[in-house]
Amino acid sequence: MSKTAVQESVADVPSLRGVFITAMPDCLLFDSWTHPDETWVPEDAASYFGDVIRANREGLKSLKAWSSEMQVTIESAQVLLVLKELRDFVVTLAFERDVPLGMVRLHTKRVLERLNNVLPKLEATERPRGVRITEFLERYAPDAHAVLQRVSLRTGIPIALLRSPDRLDANQTNLLEESVKDILGLDTLSL
Amino acid sequence: MSTPAAPSLRTYIPNYDLMNYGGIPTVYHCHHFNLFLDQTIDDALGPDEGTKLRFIAAREASHHFIRALVTRAGALTPAERLEVAQRTFAGMGHGRLQVSGDRAGGTATGEFLHYGFSWAEKYGQKVRRRKPADAFAAGYAAAALEVAQSLERETMSAEETTCIATRAPQCTFTLKPGPQAKAVVPVREPDVRARVKPTFASATGEDTISAIAKGLRDFTAPVAGDERGLVQAFGVYVTLHLAGYYNRISYDALAHVVANKPALVPMLEDLLRESGHVCVFNTFGGILASPEWEAMVGKHSGDPQAIILGNLAIARALGFGHWTLAEYQPNERVVLRAPATYESVYYLTRHGASDRPSEYFFQGAALAIAQLAHRIDWRQKPSLTQDFYNSLFKGGTLPWKVEQTSCTACGHEYSEVVATRVG
Repeated sequence: MSKTAVQESVADVPSLRGVFITAMPDCLLFDSWTHPDETWVPEDAASYFGDVIRANREGLKSLKAWSSEMQVTIESAQVLLVLKELRDFVVTLAFERDVPLGMVRLHTKRVLERLNNVLPKLEATERPRGVRITEFLERYAPDAHAVLQRVSLRTGIPIALLRSPDRLDANQTNLLEESVKDILGLDTLSL
Repeated sequence: MSTPAAPSLRTYIPNYDLMNYGGIPTVYHCHHFNLFLDQTIDDALGPDEGTKLRFIAAREASHHFIRALVTRAGALTPAERLEVAQRTFAGMGHGRLQVSGDRAGGTATGEFLHYGFSWAEKYGQKVRRRKPADAFAAGYAAAALEVAQSLERETMSAEETTCIATRAPQCTFTLKPGPQAKAVVPVREPDVRARVKPTFASATGEDTISAIAKGLRDFTAPVAGDERGLVQAFGVYVTLHLAGYYNRISYDALAHVVANKPALVPMLEDLLRESGHVCVFNTFGGILASPEWEAMVGKHSGDPQAIILGNLAIARALGFGHWTLAEYQPNERVVLRAPATYESVYYLTRHGASDRPSEYFFQGAALAIAQLAHRIDWRQKPSLTQDFYNSLFKGGTLPWKVEQTSCTACGHEYSEVVATRVG
């Protein structure tokens, strides 16, 4: 999908400040559009939106309340966000904060219909688990600039190998995963 | 900063800028350094052995320290001695610690303990901690009870049973007698004085460095913990801390890795350097960006050399040693030298000559100083946030590297670190 396709999909939507399209399950930015006045960096935000939807899905499942139609609305002081799963993607729409919710829902429905027509079907390719663990770690670790050194010191896996996590063997991947869970204080990694 | 410390207890070895408090080597360090260094020890040894080493190191250094303080104060009864220990702990910025017990053991409670509190503030919203954070307070509490009860040193054990860093409402400790630890060589002011090499002046800017360092010392002399027992200044939580604690955990962890996992030594060294780097960036940077700095030194000129000289003054005021500028090529090379550092004098006293340059804080600090001088425009009054730190240092190769070319712990005449522009 070209940039133009996204721009065309949102061109006439008032009050919209940005659109972020996150490819799942890897939570990678697929495409985006932001208002020229915004200084957002889509790459910094897109993966978190994927994680939000994933966590929300798991939470709802634990309550036996999940359905594929779920939609997450976040009302912060500065912006109103709507997150919605759309096939292999998570679409996040950022609106001006003072837009009435009814209008937001209306605009969201319209944009999603358009995006549904232009977003491609993704080929499901499973990336190595080590790569996904490392990406997750770097997304959430405190002191992210030094976290691979920390993992290396903890696990004994050479730092050069950690920088090419697709080359980790099964044992090293398990060591990595245990170390990441310890560093982040998590019982499981939601990948 | 409402509770005045006893400034007369704080002294510097003339011309060496190594600080002592009550005759015990001390330095000022921020929570960024404290947390990162403790974390590195746990990464190297595992959380259980790491906590154990941090406790033992804290207890050892604190015993000498508290004994010196109660002797000076003429505190005779257990209650008087505990009062001296607790008041000093809060005055140093470590939080409020209440210790009670007898020769059979006891309990302690902590409020606003520096490690647990600052960990929760820095990391608590981002990750969940599973183990308590206050091994230093545990060691200090054990040592306080030992001294209060006139017990042999390192005979009381302590365990932190709840910690605010793990989201408990309060920090609590259980103290009980334990086996006496292996005796180690004490490191006190006379030992430090016996280990230093002949001193020297900075090749550049000695008068400037000396004048600013004196001003900073005068400024920090009355600083003490606030009603929480914390010192919050320049955007960081500051502690007056025992150099022996830092040194023992660093060098004992290093010895363990050298003996058991030698391939990982470079990784541990990297992280020990990083603890110095993050400290200097945040604390030195916070001081440079402060209105107090502007009032004392004036507005920033934009000259990198002025930033370097300012950093050397800060290092001297904080008790790190008589750091000097030996050579400077703008945007190319920064060479720092010192006749001794708080790391080298400890190493020589405790371990004898080192077979490798091992002043990791000095190394990390030099790397940070070079970057503070060349990568930040101080005239723009930058905000030294975590995001800013990440933007400068996360990902890719840093534009500066550091190498230690000479080390008094190895028997050389001075310690020297060289920061060089890459590419």
